[in-house]
Amino acid sequence: MRCAAARRRLSEWLDGDLRPSEAGAVFAHVEACPACARVAGELRAVAALVSELPRVEAVDSVAQAVLTGLEVETRGPGLGFLFRRKGAARPFMVASLVPAALVLATVLAAALALDSDGSPRASGGHDRWPALSASGTENNPLFPSAEVGMPLENDAGRPAADAFLSGPGEGALFLETVVARDGTVARVTVLGGDAAGTQPLLDALRRQTFEPVRYRGRPVAVSVYRLISRHEVLAGPTIAGS
Amino acid sequence: MGVGEIPLEAGRAVTRAAERVLVDRCRRGDPEAFARLVALHEGMVVNLAARLLGDPEEARDVAQNVFLQVYRRLGQFEGRASLRTWIYRVTVNQSHNRRRWWQRRRHDKELPLDDLVAGRGAARLADSRPEASPFQETRRRERARRVQEGLLRLSFDHRTVLVLREVEGLSCDEIAGVLDVAPGTVKSRLARARESLRGELTGLVEEGRR
Repeated sequence: MRCAAARRRLSEWLDGDLRPSEAGAVFAHVEACPACARVAGELRAVAALVSELPRVEAVDSVAQAVLTGLEVETRGPGLGFLFRRKGAARPFMVASLVPAALVLATVLAAALALDSDGSPRASGGHDRWPALSASGTENNPLFPSAEVGMPLENDAGRPAADAFLSGPGEGALFLETVVARDGTVARVTVLGGDAAGTQPLLDALRRQTFEPVRYRGRPVAVSVYRLISRHEVLAGPTIAGS
Repeated sequence: MGVGEIPLEAGRAVTRAAERVLVDRCRRGDPEAFARLVALHEGMVVNLAARLLGDPEEARDVAQNVFLQVYRRLGQFEGRASLRTWIYRVTVNQSHNRRRWWQRRRHDKELPLDDLVAGRGAARLADSRPEASPFQETRRRERARRVQEGLLRLSFDHRTVLVLREVEGLSCDEIAGVLDVAPGTVKSRLARARESLRGELTGLVEEGRR
């Protein structure tokens, strides 16, 4: 065997992939030819150098990243739904539907609990959760907003308020007034401040009347919050002279 | 039989029967089974991609894509080849695509060989030798760096057969199955790859012969 023929077979010879007769011929040539023996040794060294490369591992678990990716992909329809193959398995589909189903059930239950005119349906014996009054009633008033106007007050309570404001001492009262659907005051509640000595004011505010507020064509009760502050103004010292 | 009862551990040979059970459970959308499948093969995938691309970060990205593709195409897996062979094939294809993607964009990406050689960043070297002296460790890293640089100068096809053969320990027939080429093609590529790398690593090779 010549050197060229032997060199073409060296790689297979080193791997033991030659037939015995060929392997024997290459072996005989390498034994007799120092140049080919040197090349064979170098090829063996190349294989050893590559096989000694240390194995590389991912620092973080690839499995976790892949599962997270799959979860995002299968969480819901989204845009990915348009590109997913028909019939592709979605392992997290059922699990991810549970919270969505709960939200949907809650919304449906809330919708069914209210009549179209706002009065509550029977709540089916759920005594621990007393039925909430319909919105816009005295027990569940609305708040002024872009759609619900602020009730316009008549002057009935003004003198009492003026009397309170002109009284001695300092202080502030934070009050909630619920204006009923007919414009009268359903209740006045002191939410903050010192309520002592304010009874005349509260009585006067309870006698107030307002222009009834309407929301979507029906009269509604509205909460009005007021902060009434009283400051004692003292005269400063007289500047003598000049 | 639950997946937990299948004697599957990373690095151990997986019997075809156990593999079939695992694949069936994955097809039915069992996330635990798929996590097991990924855990069994992620070491092999990350190492192969790292050696083919020379970049641990890229290797990790490729590994994620490989398993996402495996998951999506499990329905097409016919079981004629072993699951491992099939995953090798997906890994080689994904690595090749990633390489071409960079080349198309003429992106002269500085390959973070330092991270790969030192086991930093997204990579960790499985067989670092704590008993080696600092001098030995430095020499070992330098040798690994030069071998990896030499590998990256080979064509992708030559690099692939060499890594599958010498690093992953596959036979020529197995490599032929992974690459879907004839065994003779694998042998000729292997011979040319070794010859090319011999030329690239002249000093190291002579040192290795002594």
